[in-house]
Amino acid sequence: MTTAVAPHGLTTVASTPAGKRADIYTGLRGRWWRFLVILVVTAVVLVPIASVVFLSLQPALGSTSTAPITLENFANVFSQTSVGTWMANSLAVTVITVLIAVIVAAPAGYVLSRARNRLVSGYSLVLFIVQSLPVVTAVIPLFILFAAIGLVDNLVGVTIIYVGSTMSVAIWMMAAYYDSIPIALEEAAWMDGCSVLGGFVRVVLRNSLPGILSTAIFAFLLAWNDYLIAVVFLRSDPNYTLPVGLETFFQQNATNWGLVMAVAVVMMLPPVLLFSVLNRYFSVGGIGGSLAGR
Amino acid sequence: MSTNSVVNRLQRAKAGVGVGGSGSASPRKKGRFSARTWTLIAFALPSLILLLLINLYPVIYAGIQSVRNGDLIDAGNFVGFANYAKILSDPAFWAAAQFTVIFTVTGVFGSWLIGLALALLLRTRIPGGGVFKVLLLLPWVVPVVVSATSWNWLVATPQSPLPMLAQALGLGNVLFLANPVLAQVTVCVFKVWISFPFMMMMMSSALASVDVNVYEAAKVDGASSWQSFSHITMPLIARTTYVSWILMTIFCVNDFPTIFLLTGGGPVNSTTSLVVLAYRTVFQNFQTGPGVAIAFVMTLVLVVISVALYRQIRKVNIE
Amino acid sequence: MTSQSNGAAFTRRGFVGLAGGVAAATLLAACTPGGSGGSAKPIKFWNMPWGNTTFNPTDKQITLAYKPSAGLNPATYQVIQWANFTQTFSSAVASNTGPAVSSGGGTQAFQFESQGKISYADNLLDSWKKNGLYDDFLPGLIDTMKVSKGYAAVPYNLDMRVMWYSKALLDKAGAQVPTDWQSYLNTAAALKKIGVYGYGTGGGAGNFTGGHILVSWMINNGGGLFDENQKPNCVTPANIEAMSFVLEMVQKGYVDPASSTYTSANVQSQWAAEKFGVGFDTAGLAENVGGAVGPGLVVGSPLTGPSGKKGALYFPNNIMMYKNTPSQKGSEAFLTYYYKNMTPLWTKGTGIGLPPLKSITQTKEFQASANNVKVIEEWQPISRTWAAPGGTALFLGVTTVDGTPAMDTFTQSILGGKTDAKSALTTLENAIKANLKS
Repeated sequence: MTTAVAPHGLTTVASTPAGKRADIYTGLRGRWWRFLVILVVTAVVLVPIASVVFLSLQPALGSTSTAPITLENFANVFSQTSVGTWMANSLAVTVITVLIAVIVAAPAGYVLSRARNRLVSGYSLVLFIVQSLPVVTAVIPLFILFAAIGLVDNLVGVTIIYVGSTMSVAIWMMAAYYDSIPIALEEAAWMDGCSVLGGFVRVVLRNSLPGILSTAIFAFLLAWNDYLIAVVFLRSDPNYTLPVGLETFFQQNATNWGLVMAVAVVMMLPPVLLFSVLNRYFSVGGIGGSLAGR
Repeated sequence: MSTNSVVNRLQRAKAGVGVGGSGSASPRKKGRFSARTWTLIAFALPSLILLLLINLYPVIYAGIQSVRNGDLIDAGNFVGFANYAKILSDPAFWAAAQFTVIFTVTGVFGSWLIGLALALLLRTRIPGGGVFKVLLLLPWVVPVVVSATSWNWLVATPQSPLPMLAQALGLGNVLFLANPVLAQVTVCVFKVWISFPFMMMMMSSALASVDVNVYEAAKVDGASSWQSFSHITMPLIARTTYVSWILMTIFCVNDFPTIFLLTGGGPVNSTTSLVVLAYRTVFQNFQTGPGVAIAFVMTLVLVVISVALYRQIRKVNIE
Repeated sequence: MTSQSNGAAFTRRGFVGLAGGVAAATLLAACTPGGSGGSAKPIKFWNMPWGNTTFNPTDKQITLAYKPSAGLNPATYQVIQWANFTQTFSSAVASNTGPAVSSGGGTQAFQFESQGKISYADNLLDSWKKNGLYDDFLPGLIDTMKVSKGYAAVPYNLDMRVMWYSKALLDKAGAQVPTDWQSYLNTAAALKKIGVYGYGTGGGAGNFTGGHILVSWMINNGGGLFDENQKPNCVTPANIEAMSFVLEMVQKGYVDPASSTYTSANVQSQWAAEKFGVGFDTAGLAENVGGAVGPGLVVGSPLTGPSGKKGALYFPNNIMMYKNTPSQKGSEAFLTYYYKNMTPLWTKGTGIGLPPLKSITQTKEFQASANNVKVIEEWQPISRTWAAPGGTALFLGVTTVDGTPAMDTFTQSILGGKTDAKSALTTLENAIKANLKS
């Protein structure tokens, strides 16, 4: 299967052995060349995003403004809708989803990564099946269940569903990351008298920041962007999350695209800010030196 | 049908443990779990409880729907496997299955290749590397409702930017969405665009754990760049690669909004995948039985593929 | 085996996980507003975003201003978004948390009626015969709601499909406003010479208008999809003639080749770009196009078909009452109030479809729009429902054509031009038959 990995793009990549220390040897020219490549790729990739921003700055439908660019969509969004409340709801739901997902998935992924028996195989099969069923078939039964226990039009209800739907992938992502940490590290800790739990917390988790961050980002975006579930489960304006708020601009035969795009831009801001902050830890990544002996 | 096989498997798995299964890494006495095993069970338990609590009921509910002739509200009557027979003999099902395969294969490998290439590039020292990392995540950050709209805006009408560009390049009036084959290509490219940031992130975190000193050693030994990539990097990130393939396969097969919002499955069903077909059967034709049956067949195939890939992971790990 | 020993086996890690979850849940619960209070259970009224962003606030005001007479129930208001609304209603009704009164999709009432969830409007309509409301409805409208056991719903706003043209573009092309099918071909030919499409339409993702217009052509020619027994009967000479006419327009290049994939936003932007000179759309097209072009768009008169007939498809949206109500009397009293007081929805520019009541069409605000007046005076009387040509009343079977995959495929194959009328209609008829519950 690795033979399928002979793409044109990668040879250029491979010509610059990766890694910070290796970088010293490739010199300045390669560096700027790579910069150019990534600049072009990023520019192309961002065209649709740029058009979202562009459309958000267009005059609204029926507007009298003749200026080519205007902030009136943003003004309208903030003055006519409860976008602030929606944002707060989205943040609450998302942050709690992320926390629970990581806290539950981190130890579970460890089991998947380290244990080898048929019980674990069965467990991983459950994960597959759960993740494989399309969400659209689950909405109605879930709603009926949640209506019975009073979790409809309730942020707790959607949070529970988000946690459930991130769980499989989160466990897999954590497991995949643990796999890159040699078991020898824990074995050394066990020799020193550490329990399994102690070894997990002190050795494995401490070295798993990039894995945890990836998992957190996944859970964050799943909860942040979902509208299929939220639009069915959340009914009243004070409980809307941003994607449901976005749906309020889609009317019978008309859509106010300017407002949709403005809310979309607002929706992009928190993840972008968050990732910018996290980026430092992301790139610190790696357990570099501690693994030198493998 | 599929629920049965699952139950069987689970029972076999449980029985296996009860009789002679073991945590391979820790020797233990027969009939009693070691402290290590207890800890691991405790590690897995919260997730298992959550998963079953939230997902078991919908799965059973859907399973019952698939063998009845009801609609969204009425349970209907038991019809056995008639729904399955009906969908499997429907050419529309097989056409959708074919597009699902195209969509998934291009989605998985397209996003993986691009994601890996970018992850490798971003691992090196590049001016503004951190900024690029954040910017490149954006396609994943934008809600699909919005990005589908913006893609539509870019390609739909002859006055849209991309068709104008094609016109200027002398390609004539390119119908990105109205030509059935081009519509398939457009949808697949859209999916790759949405998905590559996930792959880039997975690959970045895998690469982060690769010790750079290994490369220097290889260089000293006279290994070429390609050799050190294929012999050092690839094996080290192999397991994450397989996992990300499995996950992306599941994401692609289950992806409903991407296709539905951009093309609605058209023109003339050319971009209708199985999940879109299932959705339309349930919510537009109000035929819950056949629609859920489609979802179940799809799930069954997915699980088989996932398990096959999972075996591959196991092999990688033993090496 | 494992479950017996769970408790003892809980490690701190596992426990922390759970405790975190519980803490999170209580935290979130604190964010949600308190439940309902009060003694007389309110009538839950759910309405859709029928107009622009001012529609629902105005509608809510009207609803909450309802002061029930003694012993009757007050009303609460809920907006239901269009996204996934089928799931929203189905899951709510299935779990008995649904509304007592609601609008919704055009065929929703017939769906729920067949499932025994609807409370018939016969009593209500009887009472409206006494207070004058009944006679205020536009002609033929109430009949469209009649099913065998009673009236499934009450007509609400009207979603029309009418012919629009751009006066400026017709003048530029030196073309006449078409009056019949032949003159339409001539107009389209003239428009083509200036690079403008004469049949502007769209049938892409979530846009069912293209299919509606195709059925309009059939009805225009005395045809339609269902016979008097409410059975699909699509492959008729009238329908074949109508679809051959559309295919002729496609083949002659009067239809934008990308039409079959146009969303309603794409169609509107083609009008705005002056690429569409004549076309068929909803009554709100001019407002939706907006900008410099929108105000110049004019509603034309219905075309006369080859058989000398006129006709078009329209959608009487409706408000239905459910059996799941705290009080049927309360539901009816609320609806009587609502229909007597809903005029502002049409006089305050909320962008909703056309009104069902004559008295509203006679307000000076409504009369101020020449296009709206033309739609009500010329198009409404000749418009038919999905049930045409066999009947006027809607019924459950129309759910097989209302925004369904079968209809989409039919529309896209006709607008794509790579089919013939008879085989496309045959495919459609077979698909409808397959989807009808036997």
